[in-house]
Amino acid sequence: MKKQLLGALADLIVLVIGVLSLLSPFIFPGLRSAETFSNTFPLMVSLIIILCLLILFYETQETLLDSKIIAFLGVLIAINAALRFLETAIPGPAGFSPTFFLIILTGYFFGSRIGFLMGAMTMFVSGLITGGVGPWLPGQMITAGWVGQSAAILKVFNKKAQWQGKAPEIITLAAFGAVWGLVYGMIMNLWFWPFLAGAPGQIWLHSAYIGINFQRYLAYYLATSLVWDITRAIGNILITSVMAKPVIKILKRFTTRFSFDYREQHQS
Amino acid sequence: MKNTYSWVLWLASSLLIILSTRNPFYLLILLINLFITGQQLAKRENHPLWALHNFRFLLTMLILSALINTLFTHTGRSVIFSLPENWLLIGGNITYESLVFGLINGFVIGGIYIAFNIINLALSIKQLTHLIPKAFRPIGMTATIALTFFPSIQQRAREIKEAQMIRGNPMKRISDWVPLFIPLLVTSLENAILLSASMTSRGFYRQQSESTMSDLPLISLILSAFMVFSGWILRMYDYPKLISILLYIAAATIIFLTLFLTGRRSQATQYHQEIWQKKDILASVLFIAAVLIWNLVKYYNLIPSLSYSPYPELPFPDIQPAYIFFLFVPLLPVLLQSDD
Repeated sequence: MKKQLLGALADLIVLVIGVLSLLSPFIFPGLRSAETFSNTFPLMVSLIIILCLLILFYETQETLLDSKIIAFLGVLIAINAALRFLETAIPGPAGFSPTFFLIILTGYFFGSRIGFLMGAMTMFVSGLITGGVGPWLPGQMITAGWVGQSAAILKVFNKKAQWQGKAPEIITLAAFGAVWGLVYGMIMNLWFWPFLAGAPGQIWLHSAYIGINFQRYLAYYLATSLVWDITRAIGNILITSVMAKPVIKILKRFTTRFSFDYREQHQS
Repeated sequence: MKNTYSWVLWLASSLLIILSTRNPFYLLILLINLFITGQQLAKRENHPLWALHNFRFLLTMLILSALINTLFTHTGRSVIFSLPENWLLIGGNITYESLVFGLINGFVIGGIYIAFNIINLALSIKQLTHLIPKAFRPIGMTATIALTFFPSIQQRAREIKEAQMIRGNPMKRISDWVPLFIPLLVTSLENAILLSASMTSRGFYRQQSESTMSDLPLISLILSAFMVFSGWILRMYDYPKLISILLYIAAATIIFLTLFLTGRRSQATQYHQEIWQKKDILASVLFIAAVLIWNLVKYYNLIPSLSYSPYPELPFPDIQPAYIFFLFVPLLPVLLQSDD
């Protein structure tokens, strides 16, 4: 009970610190050292997110002390990293990514901890493979982790609505994927925006109210990322609608197959 | 220079210098040095198109950044042309000053990207996974399993795809990919069962109810994240620098001690030990010295030419020879490797 409480507290603190760092251009108006702020923003946010990741990894890695889960997750991550390579093979416009649906389904099926690890580590492993290690990686990891983590909430919702195994389950999963397709891009833009926006008093107004900066961010988002993110959202809807049903069936089958435990044999 | 930690120090010192200046001359010298270092490594690793790919990215960033800044920012006296004022956000004067500011941003973004690309080139995947602290052994192990399985999964995906295409599957729509993905998932999860059994037989086993993790490291990590965050926000509100520096130092100490003490409890055999050659030690010392001197110089504001603003009217950037020395920090691996 104490452990669960501490785990929930760690999740909450990470969420608060992570979100506050990313949203700092909106929620800390009147920053006096605005130039220092925009210059160091991407690096400091990356650093704080790395610390948040360390907390979440430490908190969730206890789940990984079981050889079955470690092997299961390792293989799922490898499949998802391979899917990232298929991005170019599977027909789809720019922004389309087949990796999210497996992250969502893993979080949905195995709970928030495994979901978080699946999301964060997919980005990490595919970053290593593709040579995509950079200041953007911690942001990608934590956001993809949040995708998997939040999918567990959807399961609770579907269970309460008694939609499991029915068509609405797939519809909610596809809608969830669509929402994250857009939100993922919005979050990933945040860590970079005040930096790209340049000097104070321009695109990002350091002394402006939340609403004004939010309006400016929206304009920046519409101009640079919306089309990209919409294709990701549509891709998530299509891929979930087609793949979710058979994949859930397989995950159920393998959960049963993995449901055994080793007992130590005591010598008399 | 081959040591992982030396390269991490190289990255830290290079990023610190790139992010510290907006002077276009300094940034240009930094970029040239980064390109030389990257090209040297690319030659060694047999990546003939490295420089071209990175140059293309730099060019894209310059165009994108200049375009965004010019369209959204209407400050500056040297007007190129004007857009109607009633055009939402982009309406107003298009100025040379905002164009130059956009280009400078593009230089910085390009510099950060190239620095990380050099790291991807300099360090192998194995070296990068070694950077995962011992305190996160299960995470490191999961990553290693994923990296080990990745080539065989990719190979299997290719084989299934070819088999499907022979059977007349055009593999054009998303639904055509179901017969590829499902067998791939099933066979890979079968492998996971075998792997788990062999891991258990080799002693990687824990009773499901067992809880071995202490709470103290988690609390320490939360505390240090909070300290870094507070230090950053306090600095933004112009509180004395010293408070933020002390908070950062305290957080770094707590993180180091937490990871060191927790990692020491982990009983894992490390097959590949890091080798410290004389060059690695020398380079690491130089990187640390550069960072320390650099911070002192910045603390006492000895190089004012670092900050450059094209507003309100395009000025000519200052150049201070004392700073040129720091611009060659990214080139150090090449300078040290010249006699190899």
